[in-house]
Amino acid sequence: MTLDGVWKRYGDHDALRDVHFAIRSGESVGYLGPNGAGKTTTLKLLAGIARPTRGSVRVEGLDPYRGRSGAGRHIGALVETPGIPPFITGSDLLTYVARVKGHLSGDARDAALRAANAMKVAEYLDRPFGTLSTGLARRMMVGAALVGDPEILLLDEPTLGLDPAARQDLRGLLRALSQKGLTILLSTHLLEEVQEVCSRVLFLRDGALVGDEPVNSDASPGVGQRVLLLRFATDVPSESLTRALGTGFELTRDAAREFRVRFSGGEAEQGAVLAAVIRAGLPLVSATPPEPDLARRYIERVGREDTQ
Amino acid sequence: MSDATSAFVRNARWEVTRLRRSQRVWLFLIPAVAGTIGSGIADLYLHVPSIATAEVLGLLITAGLASLVALDLTALAVGEELGLRTHYLTFALPQPRVSALAGRITIVMVGVIGSYGVGVFGVQGLATAFVSAASTAPPPILVPSHLAIGIVGMLLFLGGVTAAAAAVTRSASQALVAGVLGGVVAAGIGSLFLIEGRLTPLFPLALAVAGLAGFAWCLVRYDHMES
Repeated sequence: MTLDGVWKRYGDHDALRDVHFAIRSGESVGYLGPNGAGKTTTLKLLAGIARPTRGSVRVEGLDPYRGRSGAGRHIGALVETPGIPPFITGSDLLTYVARVKGHLSGDARDAALRAANAMKVAEYLDRPFGTLSTGLARRMMVGAALVGDPEILLLDEPTLGLDPAARQDLRGLLRALSQKGLTILLSTHLLEEVQEVCSRVLFLRDGALVGDEPVNSDASPGVGQRVLLLRFATDVPSESLTRALGTGFELTRDAAREFRVRFSGGEAEQGAVLAAVIRAGLPLVSATPPEPDLARRYIERVGREDTQ
Repeated sequence: MSDATSAFVRNARWEVTRLRRSQRVWLFLIPAVAGTIGSGIADLYLHVPSIATAEVLGLLITAGLASLVALDLTALAVGEELGLRTHYLTFALPQPRVSALAGRITIVMVGVIGSYGVGVFGVQGLATAFVSAASTAPPPILVPSHLAIGIVGMLLFLGGVTAAAAAVTRSASQALVAGVLGGVVAAGIGSLFLIEGRLTPLFPLALAVAGLAGFAWCLVRYDHMES
């Protein structure tokens, strides 16, 4: 998927301003930005719902707006919160989507059932949307995006309205799909969602792309590592802390009275860090996990609104 | 099957599902059944002077009912999902939008006109059965066979106006109001022509053309919708 110099204007407002990015096949990319930044507009362009005012959008080499029938076959999209007439059942909707995606009758029902099973809503397929809870309806809608085993998933806040267990399930499913090689563009306000599912993150502010980087930066703890932020009452020389901690700890000074300690291991090693600092008589005020790195980068790139 | 044809067929089927699930499919019975019954009651109790006049009366009753059904179902076929924003889902599907919407509108219009057609046969049958032919009866104000065909033009006009309004307002209820207003204007102009003795087959033909233009405009607008 590529956006090349894309502008989208609604009336006298530029929803997107000269946005460039490319997402390779099999990549999982988080799309972050405050409300009104242009995330949904981008997804609309990629899903063929809208066309750019300027610039070019390509999905699998095709223009998704003009070549809907071609590009659309590769895409499963959930953009905003489409309302479904209350009398329509999940089965009606998913089977319709499967038919439009080219499945024949019996095959369409199977494809609908597979998608419903993936979202754990198969038992609700025969219930009209009007009788489903918000979360179940949302899961059914994500199911509609999964119908036909698309190669590309465009998801706009897919966990909106889901309970914590359902959120966890969906993230697990997205991770599994990503490992299978699906290309995922996930627009969300939930940073942990991006952290769990995506390997790359795009930051959008006021319609402009302001960041395109890996989800895990150098400051993030690696696999099996922990990071602690130590705050002291007075200035502490680095050498004193290095001496107290000994080997196996990576120390960086964040501020005059703040240090970041990275180490391998779990709670036992964390206890050892604290014990060593206290033993050395250093004036420790607090030891906390640092603000998640992605949250810090989000705030640096787009500002404080909307972070969760 | 080409993309356009398969989108037409699948969406026609989708409209049938919508009509069935919402129970609106029963509305198709109204022109055929209620139109015929209403016409029969009028034949029996209004001392209609001739079979032809009874047919005109019955056709107007059936047409009135068919018009209401056409307005309602066209408004819902186009406006309901736009109002709910279901199109954020359907627009992302690999299908030409024009064929998709055309399939849905076709089901509604074929259903309404078909039901009206059944009603016409019922009206004619009951008029022949219940009204005795009198040679001294005055001629009807309209030729029944002309009226029967002309009403199809009116139904197309109402459907087209309502569909176009639904694509603009994205609301079934507002489209319905626009369709009713269109119907009132058309009926007023038709009555004026009738009183002045200027009502010719060109009038229903013009209504049909305007209705088809309304459908075409609705499809073009739907195809270019972006939000």
